[in-house]
Amino acid sequence: MNRIFKNNWYGLCILVLAVLVSCNGNTEKETQEAYIHELTFKPGEEARVLEALLTIRDSTSILLKAGLYKFDNLSIVKAKQVQLKGEGRDKTILDFSAQSQGGEGIRITDVTGFSISDMTIRDSRGDLLKINKSRDIVVRELNAIWKTSDSTSGGYAIYPVLCKKILVENCYAEGASDAGIYIGQSDSAVVRHCKAAKNVAGCEIENTTNAEVYNNEFYDNTAGFLVFDLPGLSQRGGHVKAYDNYLHDNNRINFAKAGSFGTSWGVGNAAPGSGIIILATSNVELYRNRVINNNSSAITIASGFAVGETPDKINDQYFPVSKHIRIYENTLEMGPAFPGPAALHHIGKLLMGIEQQLNQQDPGRKNKRIPLIMYDGISTNLLTKGTAANPDSICIAQAGDNLFVNADFLNIEKPALWKPSTDMAAFICK
Amino acid sequence: MRTYQMIAAGILAGFGMLLLQQCKGKPSTGSDAPRQTGFEFKNKLSDYGFFKGAIKELVPNSGVVRYELHTPLFTDYTVKDRFIVLPGDSQMHYVSRGPLQFPDATVIIKNFAYTNEQHQKVMIETRLLVKDPADHEWKVMNYLWNKEQTDAVKHITGARVPIRFLDDRQVPVSTIYQVPNTNDCKRCHTQEGALMPIGPKARNLNFSPAFLGSNQLADWVNRHMITGVPDVSTVEQLPAWNDAQHYTLEQRARAYLDVNCAHCHTRSGDAYNTGLFLEYEQKDPQALGILKSPVSAGGGAGGLNYDLVPGDATHSILAYRMSSTEPGTAMPELARTVIHKEGVKLIVDWINAMPKRTAK
Repeated sequence: MNRIFKNNWYGLCILVLAVLVSCNGNTEKETQEAYIHELTFKPGEEARVLEALLTIRDSTSILLKAGLYKFDNLSIVKAKQVQLKGEGRDKTILDFSAQSQGGEGIRITDVTGFSISDMTIRDSRGDLLKINKSRDIVVRELNAIWKTSDSTSGGYAIYPVLCKKILVENCYAEGASDAGIYIGQSDSAVVRHCKAAKNVAGCEIENTTNAEVYNNEFYDNTAGFLVFDLPGLSQRGGHVKAYDNYLHDNNRINFAKAGSFGTSWGVGNAAPGSGIIILATSNVELYRNRVINNNSSAITIASGFAVGETPDKINDQYFPVSKHIRIYENTLEMGPAFPGPAALHHIGKLLMGIEQQLNQQDPGRKNKRIPLIMYDGISTNLLTKGTAANPDSICIAQAGDNLFVNADFLNIEKPALWKPSTDMAAFICK
Repeated sequence: MRTYQMIAAGILAGFGMLLLQQCKGKPSTGSDAPRQTGFEFKNKLSDYGFFKGAIKELVPNSGVVRYELHTPLFTDYTVKDRFIVLPGDSQMHYVSRGPLQFPDATVIIKNFAYTNEQHQKVMIETRLLVKDPADHEWKVMNYLWNKEQTDAVKHITGARVPIRFLDDRQVPVSTIYQVPNTNDCKRCHTQEGALMPIGPKARNLNFSPAFLGSNQLADWVNRHMITGVPDVSTVEQLPAWNDAQHYTLEQRARAYLDVNCAHCHTRSGDAYNTGLFLEYEQKDPQALGILKSPVSAGGGAGGLNYDLVPGDATHSILAYRMSSTEPGTAMPELARTVIHKEGVKLIVDWINAMPKRTAK
């Protein structure tokens, strides 16, 4: 009996310690925290690394010395305060090209207080880094790369999902056949000082609340930055701010795997040449971004109805019409013509058709490009039978010419009725 | 009974030793409140004394109870043997949905073997689930059989074992069998963050296995192994996936999906993020994948638009991923390196038999 008591005292001491640690610890300061267990490995010790992760104890820091490591896959399940650290993005390299099963190279599940930094992870068969059902996550100074940008690459390079409190900073993602940096079904996320190139989407915030995306550079993807809500998931997204980002030259072919139907969901809908796409979500602010040379659409605001969702999908977790979108003080520029791959893409073709239609309707446009901001025009009027010009609080405060088109997507397949309009009076911020 | 007491004593001694070790103040966990572990897995399977005679014959000692499931999980055509060990005269408690409630110190044993071309049963691995009395949580361990087939040794890191086996049609197939590592075990066995058994649910135990010749649940009631079971004839039964005489195509397909998918594809499971939920009782067409777009399948969806297109298995991601062995595409993600031809056929037939419906 005595022993059991002692045991409980021991537990109590740990509890007190834990309270102390959590009082001064937050994600910003995580590097200063001391870990109870510190392990160091070098290349050639892959089996020991695997074993260390399988037997991980709370409060463990693992240092992987510089060099090349070859893994099938790695996982950490159910732990607190775990750090996985290399000696630098160009020094510690984890190669997952030998992945033989599972959905990802590194899989983190149910961890509170996880950080990964200072290394390159590359070439898994599935996703590279998936962090599931975890909280207090820091991904820092990490390269996540597939060497070829085609449909053989995994979907997501950096992929927290169902997480709370995420910081992704100073990372680089390349080659993802879906999104380089993807935050899904999470709450409280910051993506900053990151770069993403040669992915289908550079960065995607999906069904995620309270996200801030700033000081990033997303370029040479199919689309630079996406804020999407999809139906049938654990939560709606919203309250997303993106500012001071540089989103340029996203004109790459959409190489998401396409089958006999052609992919028309998720990132498959991103037209080559898209800077920012807002789909079926609400409370999004875009400001002070430089959105340059994304040559199909600088900013797209669309409803789930535009990509085939139906009203029966509406519930507490999903509303298909984008609402409360504020766009101001961005620098928006577009090149002289659509990128070649736009003509190969179902939405790309529609955008080309919109440009053509506007110029036909109004010879005074003198064959200008499609306006910088494309709004699909499918509003809640569709559901309420209302007639308000801007029922969903789309607000734009941008200087310049040829800014806006309401593309009248509802009639896009009915030539006699289709009237895209550049009248933006109702959409100017009050 | 004597042997049984030995087993119980052995297990208890294991717990005792661990308590002692903890008293030496060796910190095993860091930041959380009482997370001490009481149970320590033994080094070899033989150390537990579960089986008598040549251990590979898996002849249970008394107190070690064999059981079977009406619809089992597919694992590369392996032959599985399952046993439950209840400590002392403790009892399980009936739960109508989800796994039964087990007393502390319960051990669930699952052995995996394959049939080689000489029709011999070759042992690969034995998995243990133990309900630790110290924290009432389940713990997992894997034991890898030696070449001599004389014992199995504790093994946490997983293994790739080349095998050549006979499938259900006695056709030889070569593969590299994947012994899961302990985190792989946790992926499927975790519900709401807690480790749980998957197989022993009342509805999947409620039938008459050939080895027993009578209803398994009723047998357990008679042997006082379980309390709280209502009249067995009123207990729900999960259909047998391969029994077309007694169950409809729909019933068999849904039972197959429940057992092979729904431990992850359920709201409390690992695949919560997908919105695809395949429990036997699931009624919501969207949750069942009917004309539902995938969420984060990426290339794993094969460019197809919907998880399930009624009447059109060829364009259903569900069937596509079951028919793949590529990492990142293959479903289930773990524990399958070859295609379950009969399982795929069942699901394909089920989808194709649905009245055709297309989106929009």
